[in-house]
Amino acid sequence: MNHYTLSRLQVGMTEEFTLTVTEEMMDRFYAITGDCSPIHMDAQYAAGRGYPGRVVYGMLSASLFSTLAGVYLPGEHCLLHQVDCKFAQPVFIGDTLTVKGTVTEVNETFREVTIKGQIQNQNGKKVVRAVIKAGLAQ
Amino acid sequence: MDKNQILDAVQTIFRDNFDDDTLVITPDTTAQDIEDWDSLEQINLLTAMEKKFGIKFKLEDVRNLNNVGDILDLIARLSA
Repeated sequence: MNHYTLSRLQVGMTEEFTLTVTEEMMDRFYAITGDCSPIHMDAQYAAGRGYPGRVVYGMLSASLFSTLAGVYLPGEHCLLHQVDCKFAQPVFIGDTLTVKGTVTEVNETFREVTIKGQIQNQNGKKVVRAVIKAGLAQ
Repeated sequence: MDKNQILDAVQTIFRDNFDDDTLVITPDTTAQDIEDWDSLEQINLLTAMEKKFGIKFKLEDVRNLNNVGDILDLIARLSA
């Protein structure tokens, strides 16, 4: 875990991590949220809508921005204020996602950092884009 | 930029921020008058104003803002 404080954060700083989406993650996300939409649960249904497999929950992908902010950038001292997401491309089970954040603003008065977030799949396609605002503890 | 011009620009920021094109603010408007105007939105509003007017607020500037009029006065002072 990183421990960046406000004074150590600068525009342009980046952090990233990679993980692969598994069926178990999908099962756990369903268990937590109860989202039983067939696009996420039923491969045959998803195929009927033109997808090669069950579509990964957009909010499962977006939840990785919680990890980005809380563990990597800024890390320990973070408290999320806002995450605005755009789901540009579908994600599928087995995709390997690289979650990256770049600091675009540091506001010392409001002790808030703005981070441009993006998630790319193994083919280099941006699947989720986000603007993340996080407060920093003193 | 005179006070009316500042008010117009600030009103645009409020409308954008609260996604409400009909929102009308006056110098007497307070956070009590706008349901979603909470502490996080206060930061969003003020940082949008910093960008719009090319100014930088200090903590002591923003600590005692009670209404829109206080914000307009502060912007007028910092952008003079």
